[in-house]
Amino acid sequence: MSTAWIAISAMALIGVGLPIGMITLSSLLRPSVPEDGKRQTYESGEIPTGGTRFRFNVQYYMVALLFVIFDVETAFIFPWVVTYRDALEGGPSVVAVLAPMLAFLGILIVGLVWAWRNGAVSWARSETTDWRSTQNQ
Amino acid sequence: MEGLFTFAPAIVLFPLVAFAITLLVGRYLPLGGAIPGIVATGGSLALSLVMAAAVAGGETTNELVYTWFETPEITFHFGLLIDPLSAAMLVVVSLIAFLVHVFSLSYMNAEGETGLPRYYAGLGLFTFSMLAFVVADNLLMSFVFFELVGLCSFLLIGFWYRTKSAPSAAKKAFLVTRFGDFFFLIGVVAIAASYGTLSFAGDASFVTAAESAIDSETFFGFDADTWVTITGLLVLGGVIGKSAQFPLHTWLPDAMEGPTPVSALIHAATMVAAGVYLVARMFGYYALSPTALAVIAFVGGFTALFAATMGCVKDDVKQVLAYSTISQYGYMMLAMGVGGYVAGVFHLLNHAVFKALLFLGAGAVIIAMHHEQDMWKMGGLKEQMPVTYYSFLAGSLALAGIIPFSGFWSKDEVLYDALIVGLSEPLILAAYAMALLAVFFTGFYTIRMVRLTFHGEPRSEAAESPHAIGLPAKIPLAVLGVLALVGGAMNLKPLEELAGLEVAFLERWLDGQGVGSVDGLTYHAYSETVHYGHEYIGGPEGTVILSAALSLGLALAGAGLAWTLYSGPEPTRHTERLGSLRDLAVANYYQDEYQVWLARGLTLPLARASDRFDQTAIDGVVDGVGSVSRFGGERLRRLQTGQVTDYAALVILGVLALLVVLGINGGWFL
Amino acid sequence: MIEPVQLPDAAALGPALVLGLTALVVFVFDSARPHEPDRGLLAGTTAAGSLLALGVGVWYMIAGVGVPEPDGAGVISLFDGQLVVDQLALFFMLVTAIVTALVAIASYDYMDGHAHQGEYYSLVLLAATGMATMAAANSLVTVFLALELASLPSYALVAILKDNRGSVEAGLKYFLLGALSSAIFVYGISLVYGATGVLQLDLVAEAITGETGQHVLTGNAHDVAGHDGLLGVGIVLLLVGIAFKTASVPLHFWAPEAYEGAPAPIAAFLSSASKAAGFVIAIRVFTTAFPVEATAGLVGFDWSVAFAVLAVATMTIGNFAAAVQENVKRMLAYSSVGHAGYALIGLAGVGAGANELVLGAALMHLFVYAFMNTGAFLFVALAEYWGVGRTFADYNGLGRRAPIACVALTVFMFSLAGIPPLGGFLSKYLLFWGSLQAGMLFVAGALVVNSALSLYYYSRLVKAVWFEEPVTDHGSLAQPVGLYAALIAAAVMTVVVLPGFGPIADSALDAATAVLTS
Repeated sequence: MSTAWIAISAMALIGVGLPIGMITLSSLLRPSVPEDGKRQTYESGEIPTGGTRFRFNVQYYMVALLFVIFDVETAFIFPWVVTYRDALEGGPSVVAVLAPMLAFLGILIVGLVWAWRNGAVSWARSETTDWRSTQNQ
Repeated sequence: MEGLFTFAPAIVLFPLVAFAITLLVGRYLPLGGAIPGIVATGGSLALSLVMAAAVAGGETTNELVYTWFETPEITFHFGLLIDPLSAAMLVVVSLIAFLVHVFSLSYMNAEGETGLPRYYAGLGLFTFSMLAFVVADNLLMSFVFFELVGLCSFLLIGFWYRTKSAPSAAKKAFLVTRFGDFFFLIGVVAIAASYGTLSFAGDASFVTAAESAIDSETFFGFDADTWVTITGLLVLGGVIGKSAQFPLHTWLPDAMEGPTPVSALIHAATMVAAGVYLVARMFGYYALSPTALAVIAFVGGFTALFAATMGCVKDDVKQVLAYSTISQYGYMMLAMGVGGYVAGVFHLLNHAVFKALLFLGAGAVIIAMHHEQDMWKMGGLKEQMPVTYYSFLAGSLALAGIIPFSGFWSKDEVLYDALIVGLSEPLILAAYAMALLAVFFTGFYTIRMVRLTFHGEPRSEAAESPHAIGLPAKIPLAVLGVLALVGGAMNLKPLEELAGLEVAFLERWLDGQGVGSVDGLTYHAYSETVHYGHEYIGGPEGTVILSAALSLGLALAGAGLAWTLYSGPEPTRHTERLGSLRDLAVANYYQDEYQVWLARGLTLPLARASDRFDQTAIDGVVDGVGSVSRFGGERLRRLQTGQVTDYAALVILGVLALLVVLGINGGWFL
Repeated sequence: MIEPVQLPDAAALGPALVLGLTALVVFVFDSARPHEPDRGLLAGTTAAGSLLALGVGVWYMIAGVGVPEPDGAGVISLFDGQLVVDQLALFFMLVTAIVTALVAIASYDYMDGHAHQGEYYSLVLLAATGMATMAAANSLVTVFLALELASLPSYALVAILKDNRGSVEAGLKYFLLGALSSAIFVYGISLVYGATGVLQLDLVAEAITGETGQHVLTGNAHDVAGHDGLLGVGIVLLLVGIAFKTASVPLHFWAPEAYEGAPAPIAAFLSSASKAAGFVIAIRVFTTAFPVEATAGLVGFDWSVAFAVLAVATMTIGNFAAAVQENVKRMLAYSSVGHAGYALIGLAGVGAGANELVLGAALMHLFVYAFMNTGAFLFVALAEYWGVGRTFADYNGLGRRAPIACVALTVFMFSLAGIPPLGGFLSKYLLFWGSLQAGMLFVAGALVVNSALSLYYYSRLVKAVWFEEPVTDHGSLAQPVGLYAALIAAAVMTVVVLPGFGPIADSALDAATAVLTS
């Protein structure tokens, strides 16, 4: 065991020491020429239009979330479909094989209906829709 | 629980239900909520009679009802113990509770009292607690309900809480009995801790445990028999408080501030009996300790005489009865102390009947007199209130111990039992002598009370035109009057001794002969345990005759003296001729004064001193802890910066520190 | 009556399933009218669902689920032992269901006028489902999944008052620290898995006692002793994850912040049910998967000693910090940290003798605590509903303005402090006695000192309510039905635990015995 830990410690030391050493070395070696142009975000001359921290539209995330939900759903359905026929031949009744997937889909559908009714899929902001998820912003 | 005993819990629960109903909706019920109480106590009475019949049929029960709390060492539970003793007591308690409920219709309702639901709820709660106390199968349950009856007593004495005296009397009763109960509680804990059980009966009872421990074990550095004496005396503290024995008797006369039916039920017939009943219940335990028995006997004999002398000089009819109650409980304690278990229980049952009768009679007189209680303002009520007079007279003759009324038989048996033991034990003989002398005073104050109240000419306007009393008052008086006359037939021991007739029914009942019994709880078993020897003058028969003649003679002498002294239309105040002796007795031998001094002069300065110690030494330490904790708390607060990044850093550092410490400790890095 | 054994095995999860289904029902109701939710319907459904779950749990308990075969229906094991329903599981499902019901009833008034009603109740139910599943989880994977199912809704619930800066801030902090601790926890799981090659708790225990694990990929047997460091680090990381969930020192920082910012019923929910759920996985994982002696032999430290240290540190720091708070909710938050310390004694006692007694006492304490602590936080909810303010001084004289609620508060405070006639005394006394029996004198001493200290700040609140003069207003206050009902129910239960002590203590002791001997 001890040799392994020695190796790990050596790795850790090298991992920390190498960047620190290189930065130190380069700061010792490089010439220092302060200039205003170097302080700009993009030295190519492009002028930034604002800060990086601004709010994305919440719908941006909604799409991602809904996508993930259906993606996961598909990922669960595929193996189930593949083994469905074999499972039936193995003995259990249709109910025992079918019911868990129906329950799973049912739960997702309840969630989807709820999200839909609450405006998660109203893709665009509209004056006439009461859009609860953003009204407090 | 089998057969009829399945219904036994209902005896206890009926009054509880009545209490709940009266408390919650009493103010919407007719008659101030009296009906649930009457129905419930009537039901309890009927079921109690059924239980007594079951016991007479040879059955008993000793059953667990509810386990409260279980540990490997001890189990705390509630249970029912119905044997001949508790069955008899159940009948008496529920009978008197029932009659008092009925009587209250006259005393409270007809007089237009307010707050009646509170009154009847109190009576219901009391009846429940008392019945539960009677059927208790272990000492803890007894203690719980012993305290509850005390609480009810407090509530009912203070019923007229707007007056100045009633709340003060209620407080006094509560505090004085609590003082005794304090020792009782320590006794319960000591018994539980030493024997690991609190049951009264059965193989797992503390009595059996104590019996087998004697001569072989020690508890907390004491021999087992010394320890039995210590714990027995501790429990006796509660008994002395509750049964108003010297020196904790001072609360009972003041308790007369409560309504008179309450005095009849609680402060004469039942609650005060709880103390003596407890001694009877665990008599097997006291029987193991000659010292405890001697203390009981001597306290009883002394209280009997001491209270009787005070009763002779009181002018308030309820005060006379209060002191006579104290005195009579002294007789019962004396009986218990000399091993006269049957005599004590006999007198307990008889006394419950005739003292309830006397109080209810006094209550009827008080109604008639427009709430005047001074006997010197009464007189001449005999013709106006015949029912009350004759029943009161029956009760009085029973109290005075005149043959053939019930009190004669039981008091005679108490004195006889004390005499045969006293002939070989000087201390008991002294107790016997005091009790015997008290017979004379009892006869005197009883007849003085009857004379002043009912005979002669009316001495006030109220006495000339008394208020009529209703039927609800007359019926209980008549019932109890008959019982006071014939109650002695329960146990005609002298006739059995002299004529050989088998008429000592109560003795056979309590001994379980021909009726049900619980092992170890019989008169027989107790008599074998008690260490007293018996001696006689002129053989057993001669002693019986001598004892009966002495007590009857003294009673007649006392009664006769009072009868002649207070005869005529306008009796004179003869006790005033006693001068300073009378002053001493009127002032209750300055008992209250010295107890107040004990509280003010001794306890208060001590309390002040310990308060000062507490304020400086203890609080100093506590304050020290407090300031350390405040300081520590401030430090902790500084860690709680509110910055989530700090917290995350602390978490990581904490994990790393743990890993390093445990890793080095566990040798993972090697 | 149908015996639970006649039902399909999956029905053994009844309480958890009922809670989950109720969440779906709430979703359906909310979908029907998303913009003007019927608050009564939502709160009522939630309360009814949790009471139904409670009823199912009680039914199973009476029917003897989890009691060994001859007397009862036996432990029901689901999905090849990934979940087990035994007495311990049922006991904590009951605690969860009770707290959920109280919180739902109280929330009806508290959440009046707030947006996101449907979300609120369904998240409460989903979190409760997670907690109930935690109670039954028997494999490191199911433990983690259930833990996350309980945690994710909790983060959102803390932040549900979206317009309130405090609520949002608290939610974010809770989420960040929770994510960190979840990462640590799951890392611990992976290390234990790496060392033993199995995830199911009893198999982990077998691997440790037999010192034979299997390789994760190849399945070849290997010597666990060769991976002692891996296992040790894994156990420590699991301990840290659990310490976070139960708000034990040194991972208690989040608790005061989260409780203070969260809506008061949610604070009650988190500090009672969520904490209890944390304890159930602590008990399950450590007593089942890591037998004390065998583990100590392998990794070189006795985890029960670690719990003893944590217990003393947690109760001391929690109580000391509570003593200096001016804000009532924060005081309660720290006191809840202190109570976590008391409950940790149960695990500390497993290594010593008399372990059933101590662990049973800890379960008992969590049960009583569910009532008194929920009740205390609900009083804070009531105070926030009235809008009287947050500090001790703001509570001055409330006794005259709302006597019934203040009587309930007094009951909770004295019970939390452990004053004799109330439920809190008995469980604390059992803990004290148990730790004496187990020979943990130091822990017992700390328990007594801390209880004495806690009396100071609990009675301070009682004093403020009854004896101080109100600052401004003297009028009587509104009596919202739901909050009052929940408050009084909690108070009554806190008192009733005393006469009902026998059965409750019995089932707690049985559960403790069962989990220790299995």
